[in-house]
Amino acid sequence: MSRPTASRQRRAEAATAYAFLAPNVLVLALFVLLPLGWAVGLSFQRTDGFGAGRWIGFGNYLRLVGDPLFWRSTLNTVAFTVIVTPLSMALGLGAALLLNAALPARPVFRSVLIMPMAVSGVATALIGLLVFDQNNGILNGLLGAVGLPRIDWQSGGAAAFASVVLITLWWRVGFNMLIYLAGLQGLDPGLQEAALLDGAGWWQRLWYLTVPLLGPASFFLLIINVIYSFSVFDIVFVLTGGGPQNATSVLVTYAYDTAFVSRDQGYGAALGVVLLIISLVFTAVQWRTSRNRDQTG
Amino acid sequence: MPLTRRRFLTGAAATATALPLAAAGCGFAPAGSKAAANPDTLTFTTWGTDAELAGFRAAIAGFEKANSGAKVNLNAVPYEQMFTDIDAQLQTGNPPDVFRVPYYTFGAYAGRGQLLDLSSQLPSGFGDRFTPAAWAAVQNSGKPYGVPHHTDTSAILYNTALMKGAGITDIPTKAEDAWTWDEFTAVARKLRSSLPATKFPFGYNWQGNGVTRWLNLLFQADGRFLDEQLSGPAINSDAGRAAVEFSKDFFTQKFVPPNSSVKATTYVADSWYAQTTAMVFSGAFAIPDATENLKFEWGATYAPRKVRGGGDFGGNALVVTAKAKNPKLATAFLDFVTQADPMRTFCAGASLLPTRRDLSADGIEFKIRPELSPVFVGQSRVVRATDSAQVASPSMSGIITVLKDQLDKAFVGGQSTAATISGLSSGIAQALQK
Repeated sequence: MSRPTASRQRRAEAATAYAFLAPNVLVLALFVLLPLGWAVGLSFQRTDGFGAGRWIGFGNYLRLVGDPLFWRSTLNTVAFTVIVTPLSMALGLGAALLLNAALPARPVFRSVLIMPMAVSGVATALIGLLVFDQNNGILNGLLGAVGLPRIDWQSGGAAAFASVVLITLWWRVGFNMLIYLAGLQGLDPGLQEAALLDGAGWWQRLWYLTVPLLGPASFFLLIINVIYSFSVFDIVFVLTGGGPQNATSVLVTYAYDTAFVSRDQGYGAALGVVLLIISLVFTAVQWRTSRNRDQTG
Repeated sequence: MPLTRRRFLTGAAATATALPLAAAGCGFAPAGSKAAANPDTLTFTTWGTDAELAGFRAAIAGFEKANSGAKVNLNAVPYEQMFTDIDAQLQTGNPPDVFRVPYYTFGAYAGRGQLLDLSSQLPSGFGDRFTPAAWAAVQNSGKPYGVPHHTDTSAILYNTALMKGAGITDIPTKAEDAWTWDEFTAVARKLRSSLPATKFPFGYNWQGNGVTRWLNLLFQADGRFLDEQLSGPAINSDAGRAAVEFSKDFFTQKFVPPNSSVKATTYVADSWYAQTTAMVFSGAFAIPDATENLKFEWGATYAPRKVRGGGDFGGNALVVTAKAKNPKLATAFLDFVTQADPMRTFCAGASLLPTRRDLSADGIEFKIRPELSPVFVGQSRVVRATDSAQVASPSMSGIITVLKDQLDKAFVGGQSTAATISGLSSGIAQALQK
């Protein structure tokens, strides 16, 4: 094949590749990048959304510094992330190990664990309301029936936070299990056998063999879980509304209330931009420091 | 033409590129005024219960019959998405011609140039058909920007058996006999001592968007939250302190469920339905649902009074957007639905209260539990124009946030009355400046 022909072919293939990428890029630009740019622009304005806003430079960002509810919401978001991420990964890994082993009715158990994934966050939170309603809920009914004290799921700050964590775990563990299960099924069983022959116990094989080999899956789950936790909204909004007394207020519920309830859209946008920066910084740090991520590609 | 791999890939890529563009160009435009190009067609966006939507449909049919060639496209949406949709449509310049709006949200649109000033569209004396409180609720800077379509206000629904169990049988049947705050507290104490710890004397309906119902207590103490010019806070008063103190006691004395503060995500009516509370403050709109679902005997009485009776001017206005393509027709629609017969039919069917002076004076009969109509009509008569005008402030959305934050701190955070009044006063001042 002559050189000009090969070059033409390469250009044609590149053009085809770009054409395939175009729909995604277009949708991404239209529905993600454009609104994002708009939000950044809004964050420098004082506006209620109607008419032209007033340009106030970094005024909204300076206001964040002295806003106690912003710091409370940030702290709650970080606490939620620190609790939910390792717990959902650990429980997901445990369930995956269990359901990767020989077990009667294994497909049924797998389906049961994955099922919450099919339910929307809002529906999950509504189920949570039925369970955690302090006066008429299922859980307090059960506790009362066995003579245990009722828990202030909706009026106690710590209990309300716990209810959000519990319902999130119920919702998220199935997804973590699914990814770990796929990872486990891709592992070479010969390695486990070799370790067994070398006298490694169950715990040693798990800790020194299985967990490191699942590194790419863990890295993926870590990033996804952290991003999810930082942007949690639907469950908190429906289940606790950020209360009682802001004990469960997270950055996104605060941004929503600010932008759409108080109609302070510039400040709400600034909250959103800060959340984006935190998520990006965390992901970048993880990306650069993790040795477990998949190095291919 | 043979289908080579390259040709297939190129064709597929071209199709993939074209699809989202085609999708973006069809079917995703929100229904706004531009969707109806015919100037004789109005778009009307609302939310509503089945009974309310049936009332609107009947009114639209009557309007179309009376105005040959006119058509009203009803766009019914869930309440939860109503105002995010309306805001988005207003911001993109594609709003409906007419929409329904609660009085406490009305000011946010009227005060920001989004609604049509009806003063030049309506005949002189048009406002005389409404009660002073109703007409005051749709004014902005002295001009009407909507019509008060209906109102609702909070009275008390009670569980007859739980009241009898506490020895409470003398329940007010006339507005002038409504319990005073002291009498109401005595009733709550009796209930508290007769009920187990898991049940409560009453629930107050200030959850969700209902925080403005706390203002009923302020009005009963003859207080205000905005000054007479509606430009500054006026809550730092004896009446303000009395209202905060009185409502704080609901929680400290365990009169209400601890999870029923102003920021709760569950409505306290559910606790009354489950017989966890003996009484609940409620609007008349709850009557059809309660009649259909409750298996226990229940009745209604008036909200308590202190210096005077007081209640929220709840309910909704109908407004025309500033960019409506046929303001005359839109105004004619508002005129039609607030005439006596359409309003009577709508309110009787949906268990809501009329805003017309004549219907309010004569009273109406709800289709369901008509014997309860006088309680709610009587309760609505104690609402004053000076009360409802404050709630129509353009800064109400910011004030609502302040009320929620400060009252939640007072009710479940142990914040003192003095600190709460101070927080309310400075917060309202800030909200008014934005």
